[in-house]
Amino acid sequence: MAKKAPSIDTKNLTAVQLMELDSCTRCGECVKWCPTYAASGQNPGLAPRDKILRWREFMNKSYGIKAKLFGPTEIPQSELEEFKDDVHSCTTCGICATVCESGINTVELWEALRANLVKKGIGPYGKQNAFPKVIGQYHNPYMKDQKDRLNWVPADVKIEDKADIVYFTGCTAGYNQLALAFATSRVLNKLGIKFAMLGEEEWCCGSALIRTGQAHINDVPRQLAKHNVEALKKKGAKKVLYACAGCFRASKVDWPRLLGEELPFEVIHVAEFLAGLIKEDKVKWVKPINKTVTYHDPCHLGRHVGVFDAPRYVLSHIPGVKFVEMENSKEFQRCCGAGGGVKAGLPDLALGVAESRVKDAVEINADILSSCCPFCKRNLSDGRDSLKVDIVVEDVIEMVAEALGLETS
Amino acid sequence: MVYFSGLSDALRMTFVQIMILSAIAIVIFLYGMIGNLQKWGTGVTGYALEPKEGQKGSAIRFLKTWWAQVTAESHHSGKPILEILILDILFQRRILKRSGLRWFMHICIFAGWMSLFALSGLMFSVEMTEMIGIKLPFTAAVFREWLAIPNYIFGYILLIGVIIAVIRRLFVSEVRQASIMYDWILLAGVFIITISGFIADGIRTGFIWSFGLDPSAAPPAALFHSIISLLFCIAYIPYSKYIHVIATPLAILANKGGE
Repeated sequence: MAKKAPSIDTKNLTAVQLMELDSCTRCGECVKWCPTYAASGQNPGLAPRDKILRWREFMNKSYGIKAKLFGPTEIPQSELEEFKDDVHSCTTCGICATVCESGINTVELWEALRANLVKKGIGPYGKQNAFPKVIGQYHNPYMKDQKDRLNWVPADVKIEDKADIVYFTGCTAGYNQLALAFATSRVLNKLGIKFAMLGEEEWCCGSALIRTGQAHINDVPRQLAKHNVEALKKKGAKKVLYACAGCFRASKVDWPRLLGEELPFEVIHVAEFLAGLIKEDKVKWVKPINKTVTYHDPCHLGRHVGVFDAPRYVLSHIPGVKFVEMENSKEFQRCCGAGGGVKAGLPDLALGVAESRVKDAVEINADILSSCCPFCKRNLSDGRDSLKVDIVVEDVIEMVAEALGLETS
Repeated sequence: MVYFSGLSDALRMTFVQIMILSAIAIVIFLYGMIGNLQKWGTGVTGYALEPKEGQKGSAIRFLKTWWAQVTAESHHSGKPILEILILDILFQRRILKRSGLRWFMHICIFAGWMSLFALSGLMFSVEMTEMIGIKLPFTAAVFREWLAIPNYIFGYILLIGVIIAVIRRLFVSEVRQASIMYDWILLAGVFIITISGFIADGIRTGFIWSFGLDPSAAPPAALFHSIISLLFCIAYIPYSKYIHVIATPLAILANKGGE
């Protein structure tokens, strides 16, 4: 008689990740900190610990010692479907990795589990399954024409045809949140930084596909990365600037992995770039911003890559700014709720998390809740509107533009 | 041939008894560990890969993948291996950052357990050395007396850790609610091992933990302590939550100390 096949497989799951499942001591720190678990009304299935223990059980049923001796135990499809829902109800913010006493790299684990299930035909979640087709076809997630990539560029902004520095705008800033693109380009012009842009040769960074476990579908993210890197090389890029934390993370971490080689240019967030210019005394402020300002660390910029200080350095050097920290900040920051495909797949959950974060800022009487990511800005603005509180949500680069006397519209 | 464990010939357990028990415990442990390594080795060797059709789990694949990750460059928290070994694994600073009490409890259990394990191993090797006729500057009996105080110290350290663990599970509501029967069985196991060690030694020496028991009860008490120690603390590791004793340091090393 043929041996029964295990209900799960190990596609995308590395040997180390499988070992990490057994390193969990069930201490519960991740449960205390998980923003989606809290925003869901403490749905036990959303707790990171619960997900680790469930997959550990699945592994033991499929490949453990008992399974080796007596054959694998079947896992009902309904349990796998339920697991899929829970693993996609995660913003991949990474706070569970920060507080994990066993040092488990949970973000990589969630993404690998998502990809594993998607490959099995289980998932992703809701509207997320449109990403590969839309991004593959349009090269941006908003189904906009690539020819319109630079439609936003105002007449006063000067863009070089080729330059050492290239500004990678990102789909969200280039099509929807134009204030971010206006601010970044005008600030660079004002500071005398010559920069180029990719225009219609700029394709989506692929972050949404990778985060939702769909990187393998039609090989889209690798093609996006390859195209972007080639286009950036043609522009003569030595430094590529990003004002979007999602694009920055994808370029810095995901592109080299997808392409199997280091990038031939430096990847740098505009906040880091500006902090460097301020240190060199190259920024001459013209207008104070007499406000109490706090800063929300985007997960993709902070915990994922470790950029915590540069945005704070920039904000604290803007004249008039009284900088205050929220209780949960830097590596212990509370996520805005938009990441990991949650905004697209589970908008109510995303809103619940955003409301918690806005409350953090309101508690310390901040006038401005700043960040360095258009997704964070969008979701925090939604949270603010939902709570009907009087607080401005603004990107750091927009504040810099204002303090340099520049328009952001 | 006898195994040195008492004050007189009458109080000695046989060497064969201990060797058979040790061998059984080690075989069970190794079987379980190979099973775990093979289970982990069903995973792939790198980012976004897929296992080959019909590929079986391989301990070697796991070890190679783990080592490749340990030695790979990090884009974020690349701490030196020595720092990770000392601060994250031995000193357990990741627990300390989260909770002082839990760290104290865990470090007591960790230090007590590991030290007693090492001291037992040391004693065993001295006895073996003496048995095969190699002359040492001291006898096994003398060496045992030297180890008496460290054994007591680390035994009490372990006991303190276990008592804190029991109290937390009984009286801290969030810990109590998160506890399952499995946790209690494991905790009870460590507790019984610790207490039985004190009692076996107390009966032999007639000190604090003897509870007025006749010294003739020392060999069975010591045998009981040895059996559950070997089976529970060695043989049971790969099949239980105790696997974290092995998996957690490996995970911390692979992830460069964690985020």
